[in-house]
Amino acid sequence: MPSGALLLQTIILGLLLGGLYALLAAGLTLYFGIMRVVMIAHSAFLILAAYLAWWSHTRLGVDPLLSMIVTVPLFFACGVALQRLLLARLRPVTLTMMSVLLTFAIAVVIEGLLGYAFTGTQRRIQLGYGSASFGLFGARVAVVKLIAFGLAAVALAGLYLVLKKTTFGWALRATIQHRDAARLVGIETDRVAGYGFGLGLATAAIGGTALALDTTIYPSLHWHWIGPLMAIIVVGGLGSVPGAAIAAMVLGLAQSLLQIPLGTTWAQTIFYLALFATLAFRPQGFFGGRLAQRF
Amino acid sequence: MPSASETAAAPFGPATAAAPPVEDVPATPGGERGRRLGRIAQVAAVLLLAAAVLAFPSLAPNPYVLSAGVVVLNYAVLSTSWNFVGGFTGYISLGHGALAGLGGYGTALLVTRAGLPSFVALVVAALLVAALAVPIGYAALRVRGASFVIVSIALVLIMLLVFQSWASLTGGSRGLVVPRPFPGLLRPEHHRVFYFLFAGLLGLALLAWWLVDRSRFGLGLKAIREDEDKAEALGTPTFAYKLVVFVVSAGFTALAGGLYALWFGDLDPVFQFSILTGSYLVLMALLGGVRHLFGPVVGALVVGIALEYFKVEFGNSPLHLVATGVLLALVVLFMPDGVLPAVGALAARILRPAQNSIREVTAAQLREQRRTAGEAPRQRRPVATGGRTHSTEDQE
Amino acid sequence: MTTRVKRLQMMAALGVTLTLALGACGGDGGEAAGGDEPIVVGISLPLTGDFSEPGKGVQRGYEAWAKITNDNGGLLGRMIELKILDDQSNADRVVADYEQLIGKDEVDVVVGPFSTRLVVPAARVAEEYGMLFVEPAGAAKEVFQQGFKNLFYAAPAVADDHYNHLAEYLLALPADQRPRTAAYAAMDDPFAQGTAYGLKAKLEAGGIRTVVDEVYPPNTTDFGSIAAKIAASRADMVVGGSQYQDGVNLIVALQQLRYQPRLAAFSTAPTNPEFARAVGNKTEGIIAPTGYTQKAPYPSNKEFVEKYTAQFGSPPEEDEANAYTTGQVVAAAVSAVGCAEQGDCQRKLVEWVRGNTVETVVGPLSWDETGKPKGAHMIQQWVGGEIQIVLPEDAREAEPVYPKPGW
Repeated sequence: MPSGALLLQTIILGLLLGGLYALLAAGLTLYFGIMRVVMIAHSAFLILAAYLAWWSHTRLGVDPLLSMIVTVPLFFACGVALQRLLLARLRPVTLTMMSVLLTFAIAVVIEGLLGYAFTGTQRRIQLGYGSASFGLFGARVAVVKLIAFGLAAVALAGLYLVLKKTTFGWALRATIQHRDAARLVGIETDRVAGYGFGLGLATAAIGGTALALDTTIYPSLHWHWIGPLMAIIVVGGLGSVPGAAIAAMVLGLAQSLLQIPLGTTWAQTIFYLALFATLAFRPQGFFGGRLAQRF
Repeated sequence: MPSASETAAAPFGPATAAAPPVEDVPATPGGERGRRLGRIAQVAAVLLLAAAVLAFPSLAPNPYVLSAGVVVLNYAVLSTSWNFVGGFTGYISLGHGALAGLGGYGTALLVTRAGLPSFVALVVAALLVAALAVPIGYAALRVRGASFVIVSIALVLIMLLVFQSWASLTGGSRGLVVPRPFPGLLRPEHHRVFYFLFAGLLGLALLAWWLVDRSRFGLGLKAIREDEDKAEALGTPTFAYKLVVFVVSAGFTALAGGLYALWFGDLDPVFQFSILTGSYLVLMALLGGVRHLFGPVVGALVVGIALEYFKVEFGNSPLHLVATGVLLALVVLFMPDGVLPAVGALAARILRPAQNSIREVTAAQLREQRRTAGEAPRQRRPVATGGRTHSTEDQE
Repeated sequence: MTTRVKRLQMMAALGVTLTLALGACGGDGGEAAGGDEPIVVGISLPLTGDFSEPGKGVQRGYEAWAKITNDNGGLLGRMIELKILDDQSNADRVVADYEQLIGKDEVDVVVGPFSTRLVVPAARVAEEYGMLFVEPAGAAKEVFQQGFKNLFYAAPAVADDHYNHLAEYLLALPADQRPRTAAYAAMDDPFAQGTAYGLKAKLEAGGIRTVVDEVYPPNTTDFGSIAAKIAASRADMVVGGSQYQDGVNLIVALQQLRYQPRLAAFSTAPTNPEFARAVGNKTEGIIAPTGYTQKAPYPSNKEFVEKYTAQFGSPPEEDEANAYTTGQVVAAAVSAVGCAEQGDCQRKLVEWVRGNTVETVVGPLSWDETGKPKGAHMIQQWVGGEIQIVLPEDAREAEPVYPKPGW
């Protein structure tokens, strides 16, 4: 039986990690809601944002958090462009399948370009406060991890408010629920879908910055994020943002706790076990609604 | 396929949204002679192709070229196996790399741990993988496309984790050495033998695909591809059909993976369970054309050579990834039906300007054609009709 | 499914493609080696992909070897010419590369790639073509268990023996000073794991209890949980079987948790020139094994360091030195036997290497039946803001510091 201190420490680490998962999975499930697109390149953009944060810190000497001033609008624009210029061109009949391949291709291109620009070397931001931490009931919380979690939490709350409290959010939710009906009541669904994609990609920019604060990055890292994230959105119910956030916290915590008895590698399998179990016994996910039923 | 199901759900769903089926340009009436000539040419072409494949080893100037030939044949078998699912049902799997890896590891473990002879192990491993494909398919195929893709990717990642971590069985990152099935053989001879084994397997896979393509089962699968909701409404047991074809595909993929393991000799989880392998298979099949028997083979040839070319051209940088990605994106955006149909359509436009559109057939001609087709044996009927209708007719 | 016409066209297209492909494959067959032609050395290296960083180091080492040898008049009066292919850190490719080098390009000798994972498949190709295979990077013990007859590892010791001097030192300490418990964390990689587990086996035999034994996948980027486990165990010493970045991450994560062991040993990472900056200069007392040091007194090393620095602008590291050593071993064999080409010459080269000792930049090297070198690594420690050799005694630059000061 692990000691209480280790347990507490693990729970804290799990929650901090779960927050980041929640933000990223929210973006991924948003795309699915809008266009039934499984956006494989989401985590590639995440790593791209992390590289931009690293680059601005190492080459320009600014704090990585400041890089978001550029990356968030940039990624928003990329998202809109991606939806309007590429995904909208695909045939509606085969959209889900072909969009997977298209976003897969984008992910590979990003990985290749990152490798070309920054080589395959693992990179890590060296911050003055990198190893600083403070005590909390006998556990230690690293400052950088807390900042990363804070970023994720603020971004997630912001996303929630945009979806629930603004006219755009209302239009976006209508588009997600029933595109044709939304068009009938006068919503410009194409434009809304584009902005929705931008919003999703903007979360990747924030997530990437948070990621860069405390972990190593390298070009092919995105493959190790996309798997857990896809599992999370299925477990949460495809297209459901709150579902994704809750599933992310639960699975992130479970992964952390399982590392104590099982070790790092086996603990990662929890995501895939949850994925298979969900599909076999409750294909619509645990928090999903009408949408998830069919896909 | 979400949008397809959506249009079906909407009362005013525009049926025209569906892509015009490429393969269904009706033959002009009275083309009997042309048809016979076509058939002769077709048989001749297949024979020529087979002769070219079989003659390759004696033409190869050195063992390296021969080994490159083995790699391309392996890709051809894998993408043809992939095409059982991708081509017939339209479900795109990015996880076939994992099935091949399972076949490889299964074969290797059965040889090293259970002491089975190499080729017995190969067949047993393929059967085991096919059996394993049942629960995987059950989870992945109960719901529509998106979950299937997610499961297929997850399959690669989970297998990588398991085979990496379960080091006591699989050797983990230390790798697993597969004993040579013909220990006395020199390396060039080893390549030659396996070249012919792969060629035989390719023939088998192509034959199986061709048989499915002509069967009622194949028609049901294609109905799923065109419109799963309608197919289901008309009584096609869509789930069972999808599952069966997925299992067949997994079996062939595992055979190819196992044969590769016997040829290659060293297994490492990182390389056996790679997402890129799966994506190459998709790229090959799509590029060649998923609706064609030889599409994946052509794709394997083109992509196999292209990969080599990218590597030579962008040797010291990861730009070969960029090139692969751009190629995939271009195919998806501009040639989703593959090169063969695209080239074919182009050639048809140049050679026979009169036949470049389905609209060249008048309603009267079409009626006439259906009437004559109705007199023909039942099996041949759907061939002459439009893609969206043959699924319904099949279910009468 | 298609109309006949279309199918016919498809066949035609297929035929054309195939013909082109056959034509492309049937190109040059390579030319025979003559008297004054260069000695072509075939190498496949991971210049892109996961192992690209050390791969490029190995490449620099080989390039330095070729240049220095050629500047001195070449081998047997022939110039050295390197033919380097990129294997993209991929085992399939590495095999195809050596297949190409030996079968198509008909190089005169081949030398090894980087990383244990790639060495074994590559060595099999060389073995089956009967080529001598000296390699700079396959240090894990598994490499030597494959029954290869032509393989030789050009470094002082295999991974499991890297910490031998440290183990002797610790077990020789008085019982009340000796660490009682140890925590191990190793990357799931034959080399990195080999170093940590080699030490673990020796310390366990000496009575030092293992309290944590963690293996993490190479892609791990978050070491919080592993560090938490180690810190919670309060082990007296921590051993990391690390490459580079994972070692840095683990050290930072341990520092975040304020864990202060009495001894911390990490393979590879602490010898990297970037290391001190990466862990925020909190390096004091960290230990690492090394097979090479720029200050080593061996005669050829002085020339190597000097000319390498002139060529590349910075002194060589371990990867570069191992590649250079590989070149030295091949050169020694070629000069002694008096030939360098495929065929029977390779058998003579193998026999010569097996029976002789070669003077290299890492000292005199000789090998056992399996190609395993019979030496040990030196132990370095960060003392006074600088990494210095502390073990064995005869090579010592500074006294070992134990227990280490806090970080």
